[in-house]
Amino acid sequence: MNQRFEHAQFAHCESGVVSTLLSSYGLKISEPMAFGITSSLSFVYMPIVKIGNMPLIAYRNLPKNIINNISKVLGIEMVKKQYKDPIQANKDLTQFVQNSQLVGLQTSVFYLPYFPKDMRFHFNAHNLLVVGKEQNNYTISDPVFETLMSCDENELTKARFARGIFAPKGFLYYPKYIPKDINLSKGIKKAIIKNAKALLTPFPYAGVKGMRKLATKISKLKVDNNERHIKNFLTHIVRMQEEIGTGGGGFRFLYAAFLQEAKAYDLDESILQEASELFIKSGNALREFALLCVESSKKLERFDSQTIANKLTEASFYEQEAALLLKKL
Amino acid sequence: MEKFDIPQESNATLNGQRKVMYGINESGKFERVNYASSTEEFATQTAVEEFEQLSRESLERIQQEISSPIEYFMYKNRMDLPTLSSVVGMFSFRVKRHLKMKHFKKLNDKILQKYAEALNIDINELKDFNI
Repeated sequence: MNQRFEHAQFAHCESGVVSTLLSSYGLKISEPMAFGITSSLSFVYMPIVKIGNMPLIAYRNLPKNIINNISKVLGIEMVKKQYKDPIQANKDLTQFVQNSQLVGLQTSVFYLPYFPKDMRFHFNAHNLLVVGKEQNNYTISDPVFETLMSCDENELTKARFARGIFAPKGFLYYPKYIPKDINLSKGIKKAIIKNAKALLTPFPYAGVKGMRKLATKISKLKVDNNERHIKNFLTHIVRMQEEIGTGGGGFRFLYAAFLQEAKAYDLDESILQEASELFIKSGNALREFALLCVESSKKLERFDSQTIANKLTEASFYEQEAALLLKKL
Repeated sequence: MEKFDIPQESNATLNGQRKVMYGINESGKFERVNYASSTEEFATQTAVEEFEQLSRESLERIQQEISSPIEYFMYKNRMDLPTLSSVVGMFSFRVKRHLKMKHFKKLNDKILQKYAEALNIDINELKDFNI
Protein backbone atom coordinates (compact mmCIF):
# COMPACT_ATOMS: atom_id res chain seq x y z
CA MET A 1 0.00 0.00 0.00
CA ASN A 2 2.84 2.36 0.78
CA GLN A 3 5.17 1.61 -2.07
CA ARG A 4 5.33 5.25 -2.92
CA PHE A 5 6.81 6.17 0.43
CA GLU A 6 9.63 8.65 0.23
CA HIS A 7 11.31 10.22 3.21
CA ALA A 8 11.33 13.99 3.20
CA GLN A 9 12.27 16.68 5.64
CA PHE A 10 9.58 19.16 6.61
CA ALA A 11 9.24 22.45 8.40
CA HIS A 12 6.68 21.16 10.89
CA CYS A 13 6.34 17.65 12.22
CA GLU A 14 2.58 17.17 12.17
CA SER A 15 1.86 18.65 8.75
CA GLY A 16 4.95 16.91 7.37
CA VAL A 17 3.91 13.52 8.69
CA VAL A 18 0.36 13.91 7.40
CA SER A 19 1.67 15.00 4.01
CA THR A 20 3.99 11.98 3.68
CA LEU A 21 1.39 9.60 5.11
CA LEU A 22 -1.42 10.63 2.77
CA SER A 23 0.89 10.87 -0.23
CA SER A 24 2.09 7.34 0.26
CA TYR A 25 -1.49 6.13 0.57
CA GLY A 26 -2.27 7.69 -2.79
CA LEU A 27 -3.44 11.24 -2.08
CA LYS A 28 -0.72 13.66 -3.06
CA ILE A 29 -0.88 16.58 -0.68
CA SER A 30 1.88 19.05 0.13
CA GLU A 31 2.86 20.16 3.60
CA PRO A 32 1.49 23.71 3.20
CA MET A 33 -1.77 22.23 1.91
CA ALA A 34 -2.06 19.85 4.88
CA PHE A 35 -1.37 22.78 7.20
CA GLY A 36 -3.68 25.26 5.50
CA ILE A 37 -6.67 23.08 4.74
CA THR A 38 -6.94 22.18 8.41
CA SER A 39 -6.89 25.89 9.39
CA SER A 40 -3.86 25.36 11.56
CA LEU A 41 -2.40 28.85 11.72
CA SER A 42 -2.98 30.40 15.09
CA PHE A 43 -1.48 32.15 18.03
CA VAL A 44 -2.15 31.18 21.61
CA TYR A 45 -0.85 32.73 24.80
CA MET A 46 -2.20 31.08 27.95
CA PRO A 47 -0.60 32.48 31.09
CA ILE A 48 -2.53 30.05 33.30
CA VAL A 49 -1.32 26.91 31.54
CA LYS A 50 2.32 26.39 32.47
CA ILE A 51 4.87 24.32 30.65
CA GLY A 52 8.12 24.04 32.56
CA ASN A 53 7.06 26.98 34.72
CA MET A 54 6.49 29.14 31.64
CA PRO A 55 3.19 30.15 30.06
CA LEU A 56 1.89 28.18 27.12
CA ILE A 57 2.71 30.00 23.90
CA ALA A 58 1.91 28.43 20.55
CA TYR A 59 2.18 29.77 17.04
CA ARG A 60 -0.26 27.29 15.55
CA ASN A 61 -3.28 25.28 16.56
CA LEU A 62 -3.15 22.64 19.27
CA PRO A 63 -1.35 19.36 18.53
CA LYS A 64 -3.42 16.74 16.71
CA ASN A 65 -5.47 19.47 15.03
CA ILE A 66 -4.18 18.50 11.60
CA ILE A 67 -4.70 14.77 12.09
CA ASN A 68 -8.19 15.28 13.45
CA ASN A 69 -9.32 17.86 10.94
CA ILE A 70 -7.88 16.43 7.75
CA SER A 71 -10.37 13.58 7.89
CA LYS A 72 -13.27 15.96 8.37
CA VAL A 73 -12.23 18.37 5.66
CA LEU A 74 -11.37 15.79 3.00
CA GLY A 75 -13.70 12.98 4.02
CA ILE A 76 -10.81 10.67 4.79
CA GLU A 77 -11.39 7.88 7.22
CA MET A 78 -8.53 7.80 9.71
CA VAL A 79 -7.82 5.01 12.13
CA LYS A 80 -6.74 6.56 15.41
CA LYS A 81 -5.68 4.33 18.25
CA GLN A 82 -4.61 4.91 21.81
CA TYR A 83 -3.33 2.22 24.10
CA LYS A 84 -3.24 1.46 27.78
CA ASP A 85 -0.78 -1.39 27.48
CA PRO A 86 2.67 -0.49 26.08
CA ILE A 87 3.45 -4.12 25.21
CA GLN A 88 0.30 -4.44 23.14
CA ALA A 89 1.07 -1.12 21.47
CA ASN A 90 4.50 -2.33 20.47
CA LYS A 91 3.11 -5.65 19.20
CA ASP A 92 0.56 -3.84 17.06
CA LEU A 93 3.23 -1.56 15.67
CA THR A 94 5.43 -4.52 14.73
CA GLN A 95 2.43 -6.07 13.01
CA PHE A 96 1.85 -2.91 10.96
CA VAL A 97 5.48 -2.78 9.97
CA GLN A 98 5.48 -6.45 8.93
CA ASN A 99 2.44 -5.81 6.75
CA SER A 100 4.44 -2.88 5.36
CA GLN A 101 1.73 -0.50 6.36
CA LEU A 102 2.90 3.02 7.06
CA VAL A 103 1.70 4.49 10.37
CA GLY A 104 2.17 7.78 12.20
CA LEU A 105 2.97 8.04 15.89
CA GLN A 106 2.84 10.71 18.53
CA THR A 107 5.92 10.70 20.76
CA SER A 108 7.87 12.68 23.30
CA VAL A 109 11.09 14.21 22.03
CA PHE A 110 12.82 13.61 25.36
CA TYR A 111 12.89 9.83 25.01
CA LEU A 112 13.98 9.65 21.37
CA PRO A 113 17.66 8.68 21.43
CA TYR A 114 18.46 9.90 17.94
CA PHE A 115 17.65 13.51 18.83
CA PRO A 116 20.66 15.68 19.71
CA LYS A 117 21.02 15.99 23.46
CA ASP A 118 20.30 19.70 23.53
CA MET A 119 16.99 19.24 21.78
CA ARG A 120 15.62 16.62 24.13
CA PHE A 121 12.97 18.33 26.20
CA HIS A 122 9.65 17.05 27.49
CA PHE A 123 7.63 17.99 24.46
CA ASN A 124 5.00 15.32 24.03
CA ALA A 125 3.49 16.14 20.66
CA HIS A 126 6.18 15.16 18.24
CA ASN A 127 4.98 13.21 15.20
CA LEU A 128 6.93 10.69 13.19
CA LEU A 129 6.42 7.76 10.82
CA VAL A 130 7.54 4.18 11.30
CA VAL A 131 8.64 2.57 8.07
CA GLY A 132 10.51 -0.61 9.00
CA LYS A 133 11.97 -2.85 11.64
CA GLU A 134 15.26 -4.70 11.82
CA GLN A 135 15.58 -6.96 14.83
CA ASN A 136 14.77 -4.67 17.73
CA ASN A 137 15.22 -1.40 15.94
CA TYR A 138 12.52 0.53 14.16
CA THR A 139 13.37 2.57 11.09
CA ILE A 140 11.83 5.97 11.49
CA SER A 141 11.02 8.73 9.08
CA ASP A 142 11.21 11.82 11.25
CA PRO A 143 10.34 15.06 9.43
CA VAL A 144 12.91 17.01 11.46
CA PHE A 145 15.82 14.94 10.13
CA GLU A 146 17.45 14.76 6.74
CA THR A 147 17.73 10.97 6.64
CA LEU A 148 15.94 7.94 8.06
CA MET A 149 16.64 7.29 11.72
CA SER A 150 16.84 4.13 13.76
CA CYS A 151 15.37 3.69 17.22
CA ASP A 152 15.34 0.81 19.68
CA GLU A 153 11.84 -0.54 20.34
CA ASN A 154 12.03 -0.07 24.09
CA GLU A 155 13.06 3.55 23.71
CA LEU A 156 10.33 4.19 21.17
CA THR A 157 7.74 2.61 23.45
CA LYS A 158 8.93 4.88 26.25
CA ALA A 159 8.55 7.89 23.99
CA ARG A 160 5.04 6.77 23.02
CA PHE A 161 3.98 6.47 26.63
CA ALA A 162 5.52 9.61 28.03
CA ARG A 163 3.26 11.35 30.53
CA GLY A 164 2.47 14.95 31.21
CA ILE A 165 0.77 17.62 29.14
CA PHE A 166 -0.36 16.33 25.70
CA ALA A 167 0.53 12.77 26.79
CA PRO A 168 0.47 10.62 23.63
CA LYS A 169 -0.81 7.39 25.27
CA GLY A 170 0.63 5.39 22.43
CA PHE A 171 -1.30 7.37 19.82
CA LEU A 172 -1.06 5.73 16.39
CA TYR A 173 -2.80 6.71 13.18
CA TYR A 174 -3.13 5.91 9.50
CA PRO A 175 -5.75 6.52 6.79
CA LYS A 176 -8.18 3.67 6.17
CA TYR A 177 -10.15 5.09 3.31
CA ILE A 178 -9.42 8.00 0.99
CA PRO A 179 -12.24 9.09 -1.33
CA LYS A 180 -11.33 9.05 -5.03
CA ASP A 181 -12.84 12.36 -6.08
CA ILE A 182 -11.63 14.88 -3.54
CA ASN A 183 -12.62 18.42 -4.40
CA LEU A 184 -9.97 20.56 -2.77
CA SER A 185 -11.21 23.97 -3.91
CA LYS A 186 -14.36 23.91 -1.78
CA GLY A 187 -12.48 22.77 1.29
CA ILE A 188 -9.75 25.34 0.77
CA LYS A 189 -12.10 28.30 0.69
CA LYS A 190 -13.89 27.12 3.81
CA ALA A 191 -10.61 26.45 5.61
CA ILE A 192 -9.20 29.88 4.78
CA ILE A 193 -12.29 31.67 6.03
CA LYS A 194 -12.40 29.53 9.16
CA ASN A 195 -8.76 30.31 9.85
CA ALA A 196 -9.24 34.03 9.25
CA LYS A 197 -12.12 34.08 11.72
CA ALA A 198 -10.05 32.17 14.25
CA LEU A 199 -7.28 34.75 14.01
CA LEU A 200 -9.80 37.51 14.61
CA THR A 201 -11.45 35.80 17.57
CA PRO A 202 -12.63 38.12 20.36
CA PHE A 203 -11.13 35.71 22.91
CA PRO A 204 -8.24 37.77 24.30
CA TYR A 205 -5.67 35.00 24.62
CA ALA A 206 -5.76 33.75 21.04
CA GLY A 207 -5.18 34.99 17.52
CA VAL A 208 -4.35 38.62 16.85
CA LYS A 209 -5.56 39.63 20.30
CA GLY A 210 -3.41 36.98 21.93
CA MET A 211 -0.35 38.46 20.25
CA ARG A 212 -1.19 41.85 21.66
CA LYS A 213 -1.85 40.36 25.07
CA LEU A 214 1.65 38.89 25.06
CA ALA A 215 3.02 42.24 23.80
CA THR A 216 1.40 44.03 26.75
CA LYS A 217 2.87 41.46 29.10
CA ILE A 218 6.33 42.04 27.64
CA SER A 219 6.02 45.82 27.79
CA LYS A 220 5.35 45.56 31.52
CA LEU A 221 8.43 43.46 32.27
CA LYS A 222 10.90 45.14 34.60
CA VAL A 223 14.45 44.03 35.08
CA ASP A 224 14.87 44.75 38.84
CA ASN A 225 16.37 41.66 40.43
CA ASN A 226 14.43 39.56 38.05
CA GLU A 227 17.12 39.01 35.47
CA ARG A 228 17.03 35.27 35.40
CA HIS A 229 13.28 35.16 34.94
CA ILE A 230 13.32 37.72 32.14
CA LYS A 231 16.07 35.90 30.34
CA ASN A 232 14.18 32.63 30.65
CA PHE A 233 10.87 34.17 29.68
CA LEU A 234 12.19 35.89 26.56
CA THR A 235 14.08 32.84 25.36
CA HIS A 236 11.05 30.68 26.13
CA ILE A 237 9.01 32.76 23.69
CA VAL A 238 11.75 32.37 21.11
CA ARG A 239 11.94 28.62 21.65
CA MET A 240 8.22 28.21 21.17
CA GLN A 241 8.52 30.19 17.97
CA GLU A 242 11.71 28.73 16.52
CA GLU A 243 12.42 25.36 17.98
CA ILE A 244 8.90 24.08 18.44
CA GLY A 245 7.74 26.33 15.67
CA THR A 246 9.88 26.45 12.63
CA GLY A 247 12.52 28.84 11.44
CA GLY A 248 11.46 32.09 13.06
CA GLY A 249 7.77 32.64 12.51
CA GLY A 250 8.04 29.74 10.10
CA PHE A 251 4.36 28.97 10.41
CA ARG A 252 3.64 32.32 8.79
CA PHE A 253 5.86 31.42 5.84
CA LEU A 254 4.23 28.01 5.72
CA TYR A 255 0.80 29.58 5.57
CA ALA A 256 1.97 32.08 2.96
CA ALA A 257 3.11 29.12 0.88
CA PHE A 258 -0.32 27.56 1.32
CA LEU A 259 -2.06 30.72 0.11
CA GLN A 260 0.15 30.70 -2.99
CA GLU A 261 -0.78 27.09 -3.62
CA ALA A 262 -4.46 27.93 -3.13
CA LYS A 263 -4.33 30.18 -6.18
CA ALA A 264 -4.64 27.13 -8.38
CA TYR A 265 -8.11 26.43 -7.01
CA ASP A 266 -10.27 29.07 -8.58
CA LEU A 267 -10.23 31.67 -5.81
CA ASP A 268 -9.65 35.41 -5.94
CA GLU A 269 -5.95 35.52 -6.78
CA SER A 270 -5.32 39.13 -5.83
CA ILE A 271 -6.64 38.61 -2.32
CA LEU A 272 -4.56 35.47 -1.88
CA GLN A 273 -1.46 37.26 -3.17
CA GLU A 274 -1.92 40.25 -0.89
CA ALA A 275 -2.67 38.12 2.18
CA SER A 276 0.27 35.88 1.42
CA GLU A 277 2.60 38.87 1.33
CA LEU A 278 1.15 40.14 4.60
CA PHE A 279 1.91 36.83 6.26
CA ILE A 280 5.47 37.02 4.98
CA LYS A 281 5.70 40.48 6.53
CA SER A 282 4.36 39.10 9.77
CA GLY A 283 6.85 36.23 9.65
CA ASN A 284 9.65 38.70 9.09
CA ALA A 285 8.47 40.88 11.97
CA LEU A 286 8.32 37.80 14.20
CA ARG A 287 11.84 36.91 13.23
CA GLU A 288 13.05 40.40 14.15
CA PHE A 289 11.05 40.06 17.35
CA ALA A 290 12.89 36.82 18.20
CA LEU A 291 16.20 38.48 17.46
CA LEU A 292 15.33 41.38 19.78
CA CYS A 293 14.32 38.93 22.53
CA VAL A 294 17.64 37.11 22.23
CA GLU A 295 19.72 40.27 22.10
CA SER A 296 18.04 41.58 25.24
CA SER A 297 18.59 38.26 27.02
CA LYS A 298 22.27 38.46 26.19
CA LYS A 299 22.58 42.03 27.43
CA LEU A 300 19.86 42.79 29.90
CA GLU A 301 21.08 46.34 30.46
CA ARG A 302 19.99 47.00 26.90
CA PHE A 303 16.58 45.45 27.48
CA ASP A 304 13.95 47.74 26.04
CA SER A 305 10.59 46.16 26.70
CA GLN A 306 8.66 48.64 24.60
CA THR A 307 10.64 48.03 21.39
CA ILE A 308 10.18 44.30 21.70
CA ALA A 309 6.48 44.61 22.43
CA ASN A 310 6.03 46.95 19.46
CA LYS A 311 7.58 44.42 17.12
CA LEU A 312 5.08 41.79 18.18
CA THR A 313 2.22 44.26 17.86
CA GLU A 314 3.44 45.11 14.37
CA ALA A 315 3.20 41.44 13.40
CA SER A 316 -0.29 41.27 14.87
CA PHE A 317 -1.45 44.14 12.65
CA TYR A 318 -0.20 42.42 9.51
CA GLU A 319 -2.10 39.33 10.48
CA GLN A 320 -5.23 41.25 11.28
CA GLU A 321 -5.11 42.92 7.88
CA ALA A 322 -4.53 39.58 6.15
CA ALA A 323 -7.34 37.89 8.05
CA LEU A 324 -9.79 40.69 7.24
CA LEU A 325 -8.89 40.32 3.57
CA LEU A 326 -9.25 36.56 3.58
CA LYS A 327 -12.62 36.68 5.27
CA LYS A 328 -13.94 38.32 2.10
CA LEU A 329 -13.04 35.37 -0.12
CA MET B 1 6.58 39.43 -4.07
CA GLU B 2 7.70 40.18 -0.55
CA LYS B 3 11.26 38.90 -0.04
CA PHE B 4 12.86 37.30 2.98
CA ASP B 5 16.20 35.68 3.76
CA ILE B 6 16.86 32.24 5.07
CA PRO B 7 19.20 32.35 8.07
CA GLN B 8 22.44 30.49 7.33
CA GLU B 9 24.21 30.89 10.64
CA SER B 10 25.32 28.09 12.91
CA ASN B 11 23.36 26.09 15.42
CA ALA B 12 25.44 23.75 17.53
CA THR B 13 22.41 22.34 19.36
CA LEU B 14 21.39 20.42 16.24
CA ASN B 15 24.60 18.42 16.29
CA GLY B 16 25.29 18.73 12.59
CA GLN B 17 21.68 18.26 11.50
CA ARG B 18 19.97 20.92 9.45
CA LYS B 19 16.28 21.73 9.69
CA VAL B 20 14.15 23.10 6.87
CA MET B 21 11.79 26.03 6.47
CA TYR B 22 9.90 27.52 3.57
CA GLY B 23 11.65 30.12 1.46
CA ILE B 24 11.13 31.69 -1.93
CA ASN B 25 13.34 30.57 -4.80
CA GLU B 26 14.50 32.62 -7.79
CA SER B 27 11.36 31.98 -9.79
CA GLY B 28 9.22 33.29 -6.93
CA LYS B 29 7.95 29.90 -5.83
CA PHE B 30 7.96 28.56 -2.29
CA GLU B 31 10.21 25.62 -1.56
CA ARG B 32 11.83 23.97 1.42
CA VAL B 33 15.31 25.21 2.25
CA ASN B 34 17.82 24.12 4.89
CA TYR B 35 18.60 26.76 7.46
CA ALA B 36 20.48 27.28 10.70
CA SER B 37 19.62 30.04 13.11
CA SER B 38 21.85 31.33 15.88
CA THR B 39 18.80 32.95 17.51
CA GLU B 40 17.30 29.50 17.91
CA GLU B 41 20.63 28.18 19.11
CA PHE B 42 20.84 30.75 21.90
CA ALA B 43 17.27 30.11 23.05
CA THR B 44 17.82 26.36 23.20
CA GLN B 45 21.13 26.72 25.00
CA THR B 46 19.57 29.04 27.56
CA ALA B 47 16.93 26.44 28.34
CA VAL B 48 19.56 23.71 28.65
CA GLU B 49 21.72 25.88 30.90
CA GLU B 50 18.77 26.81 33.07
CA PHE B 51 18.23 23.14 33.93
CA GLU B 52 21.93 22.74 34.61
CA GLN B 53 21.89 25.71 36.93
CA LEU B 54 18.80 24.40 38.70
CA SER B 55 20.50 21.07 39.33
CA ARG B 56 23.64 22.82 40.62
CA GLU B 57 21.53 24.86 43.01
CA SER B 58 19.77 21.70 44.05
CA LEU B 59 23.11 20.11 44.95
CA GLU B 60 23.85 23.01 47.27
CA ARG B 61 20.50 22.58 48.97
CA ILE B 62 21.10 18.85 49.32
CA GLN B 63 24.35 19.63 51.13
CA GLN B 64 22.38 21.80 53.51
CA GLU B 65 19.91 18.94 54.00
CA ILE B 66 17.06 20.99 52.56
CA SER B 67 16.40 19.30 49.24
CA SER B 68 16.32 15.63 48.39
CA PRO B 69 18.22 13.83 45.60
CA ILE B 70 14.90 13.45 43.78
CA GLU B 71 14.95 17.17 43.11
CA TYR B 72 18.45 16.96 41.69
CA PHE B 73 17.58 14.11 39.33
CA MET B 74 14.32 15.81 38.37
CA TYR B 75 16.28 18.75 37.00
CA LYS B 76 18.86 16.43 35.48
CA ASN B 77 15.99 14.87 33.55
CA ARG B 78 14.82 18.34 32.48
CA MET B 79 11.57 17.88 34.35
CA ASP B 80 9.53 20.21 36.47
CA LEU B 81 7.14 19.35 39.29
CA PRO B 82 4.00 18.75 37.15
CA THR B 83 5.93 16.56 34.69
CA LEU B 84 7.52 14.44 37.41
CA SER B 85 4.19 14.11 39.22
CA SER B 86 2.46 12.78 36.15
CA VAL B 87 5.30 10.40 35.34
CA VAL B 88 5.22 8.82 38.81
CA GLY B 89 1.44 9.13 38.96
CA MET B 90 1.21 10.97 42.27
CA PHE B 91 -0.35 14.25 43.23
CA SER B 92 2.05 17.12 42.90
CA PHE B 93 1.70 18.21 46.54
CA ARG B 94 2.95 14.77 47.50
CA VAL B 95 5.85 14.89 45.07
CA LYS B 96 6.67 18.36 46.34
CA ARG B 97 7.10 16.94 49.82
CA HIS B 98 9.40 14.24 48.49
CA LEU B 99 11.65 16.92 47.09
CA LYS B 100 12.48 17.85 50.69
CA MET B 101 15.20 15.91 52.50
CA LYS B 102 13.12 15.67 55.69
CA HIS B 103 10.34 13.71 53.95
CA PHE B 104 12.61 11.94 51.52
CA LYS B 105 14.40 10.11 54.32
CA LYS B 106 11.17 8.43 55.39
CA LEU B 107 10.33 7.04 51.94
CA ASN B 108 10.11 3.27 51.51
CA ASP B 109 11.74 1.30 48.70
CA LYS B 110 8.53 0.92 46.74
CA ILE B 111 8.10 4.64 46.30
CA LEU B 112 11.80 5.17 45.74
CA GLN B 113 11.68 2.55 43.01
CA LYS B 114 8.91 4.50 41.29
CA TYR B 115 11.06 7.60 41.29
CA ALA B 116 14.11 5.69 40.14
CA GLU B 117 12.18 4.41 37.12
CA ALA B 118 10.76 7.81 36.32
CA LEU B 119 14.18 9.39 36.54
CA ASN B 120 15.92 6.61 34.63
CA ILE B 121 18.37 5.75 37.41
CA ASP B 122 19.09 2.89 39.77
CA ILE B 123 17.35 3.02 43.14
CA ASN B 124 20.73 3.01 44.87
CA GLU B 125 21.63 6.28 43.24
CA LEU B 126 18.82 7.79 45.27
CA LYS B 127 19.52 5.89 48.47
CA ASP B 128 23.28 6.40 48.56
CA PHE B 129 23.42 9.78 47.01
CA ASN B 130 26.88 11.31 47.25
CA ILE B 131 27.71 14.78 46.22
